[in-house]
Amino acid sequence: MNWQEILEFSRGPMFYGALLFFLAGMAYRLFAVISLGWSKDLAKPRGSKGAGVVKSFLRGGIIFPFFPREKSAYANNPIVYIAGGLFHLSLFVVVVLGTAHMLVWKSLVGIGWPTLPLPIVDWMAAVGIIAMVALIVNRAVHPVMKLLTGPAEVMSWLFVFLPMLTGYMMTHHMFFPYEVLYSLHMISINVMLVWIPLSRISHFMFYFFSRTQHGVEWGKRNAMP
Amino acid sequence: MALESTMNLFVKKTGGEIASQLEACTRCGMCAEACPYYLATGKPEYTPIWKVEPLRKAYEQRFTIVGKIKLALGVEKPLTDADLKEWSKADFEACSVCGKCSAVCPMGIEISSLIATARAGITAAGFAPAGLVEKAETQQRTGSPNGAGEKEFADWYAALEAETGIKAPVDVKGADMLVVFTSLEIGSKKKNLYDLARILNAAGIKWTVSLKARDAFNMGSIIGNPKLQKELAGKILSTAKELGVKQLLVTECGHGFTTLRDAVPNVFGEELPFFVTHIAELLPNLIREGKIKVKEGYFANGHTYTFHDSCKIQRQGGIFDEPRYALKLLAGDTFKEMLPNREEALCCGGGGGMRSIPEANENRMAAFKLKLEQVERVGADVVVSTCDNCQLQLKDGFKHYNRPIEVKGLIEMVADSLVR
Repeated sequence: MNWQEILEFSRGPMFYGALLFFLAGMAYRLFAVISLGWSKDLAKPRGSKGAGVVKSFLRGGIIFPFFPREKSAYANNPIVYIAGGLFHLSLFVVVVLGTAHMLVWKSLVGIGWPTLPLPIVDWMAAVGIIAMVALIVNRAVHPVMKLLTGPAEVMSWLFVFLPMLTGYMMTHHMFFPYEVLYSLHMISINVMLVWIPLSRISHFMFYFFSRTQHGVEWGKRNAMP
Repeated sequence: MALESTMNLFVKKTGGEIASQLEACTRCGMCAEACPYYLATGKPEYTPIWKVEPLRKAYEQRFTIVGKIKLALGVEKPLTDADLKEWSKADFEACSVCGKCSAVCPMGIEISSLIATARAGITAAGFAPAGLVEKAETQQRTGSPNGAGEKEFADWYAALEAETGIKAPVDVKGADMLVVFTSLEIGSKKKNLYDLARILNAAGIKWTVSLKARDAFNMGSIIGNPKLQKELAGKILSTAKELGVKQLLVTECGHGFTTLRDAVPNVFGEELPFFVTHIAELLPNLIREGKIKVKEGYFANGHTYTFHDSCKIQRQGGIFDEPRYALKLLAGDTFKEMLPNREEALCCGGGGGMRSIPEANENRMAAFKLKLEQVERVGADVVVSTCDNCQLQLKDGFKHYNRPIEVKGLIEMVADSLVR
């Protein structure tokens, strides 16, 4: 098997297999949690649960990364806050607003959208890679992060980092022939897709559950979530 | 056997709420920076989400395929009695279930609720701290964790007439409001009843106390024993129904208030036929509505006042604005806010049963030092709180660190400044 064939395989059958595993795995995870059921809350609310949910998402999803509500907490562990925020921003810019990725989305879902110029996407990719390095170093040295980091956390980091690194190298034609880097990029993505349903990277789905519950809990007591 | 009880409890408690929150955690460690015990000691094992480990392990190993695979491959060890015993230290001796961790979690996970469930699991296995177990047994036997029973309360109610000339209305059917206390008041703050009686009479409220429903303190909530929680709260629920009251007033108990207001309806599976309120909410509202009149600026007397937000009444109870309204009225410009405050306030370090666990004393005072620094930063020499457990912790702490700072409750402040 030469690299051209590996590339064909990794962006063809292997990719679709991984994608299918990802979708089925996530659907199962979702079903497993939902099937446990939610209990009805009979306590009289003191404030609006709905308003709490809206505030919860505004604070958590949009405002949070830029205007920390709890300055002292973030000041004590700024790397998680800054690098974590930049990583997610980078992910969004590269995976959604990068032209190459938009075309992949278009081939999968049938619709495309305007994208950002390559230099901006490229810089954001570099920012994401640096942020990821900062995050893993932080996990290795911060006493709390050391305690909370097990093999699964390291693997999650690695399986997200490799597609980022190979993608960046591919864009810049670094060290290896293009088809080698492209193959490695696709293989690493496929591994990541399989890993997501097995790991905590799936937090992107459960985020919506926890944020909603948080909003309900704090909204009903009339507190700012 | 012990472990089996824990697993049964975890399985029973695990629904979508718990599962989705455990699944959402990214192990980012941000919650540590909100925990007063971690901040005060620097011990990573006090990280709030780490305190949830027994529950997380049980959930993954019982409910998830990945957890079962990890167990089969030996990547993760099964939950053991030794784990529960070990985690008892962090979960009970370094946690007041204050909920500040839930405020800073980027994912919005209600970490303190998860810790409360983990604590219940530890208790089910018999590894709750001896000090708490003893208090729970005493309350089950006598009705109050300090052993105050019907006779002690009857004497206290009788003393009201001698102190104020007001005859205590005891178990009056058709009263509008049932007042329940905390045993801490009968221990060290008997005056609360005398003050409150004057305030409620001035407001023209038809109130009653009871010899059956006396103490809002709920060791079942503190220790995580659902059966005891239900038994203790059930006495108050049935009495309030029997007397036909429209309101249930909790005086200065924090967890007792949220237990009765937020937990009881779900524990008993019914909407309450009365409104549960707390003095932190009621007294300022009485002033605002003109039902009682206080002398404005009565406490603007050269002292500097600050308000301590209690975890259960303020952060988890939502009663932020009312006590501040009263304090601004009573202390005027001498009232200063600590930072951070309200939802983000720092715990005094003494909640969640910490004051009943001798082994936790060092952590309790270490965490209090952070509160002390906040108080001193605003230059306050009087700290006001609407929770008597917080008041006792503040008093302990100021004494421990040798600071001449006074602690006041809202009931006494309103009573002292009462005009009519």
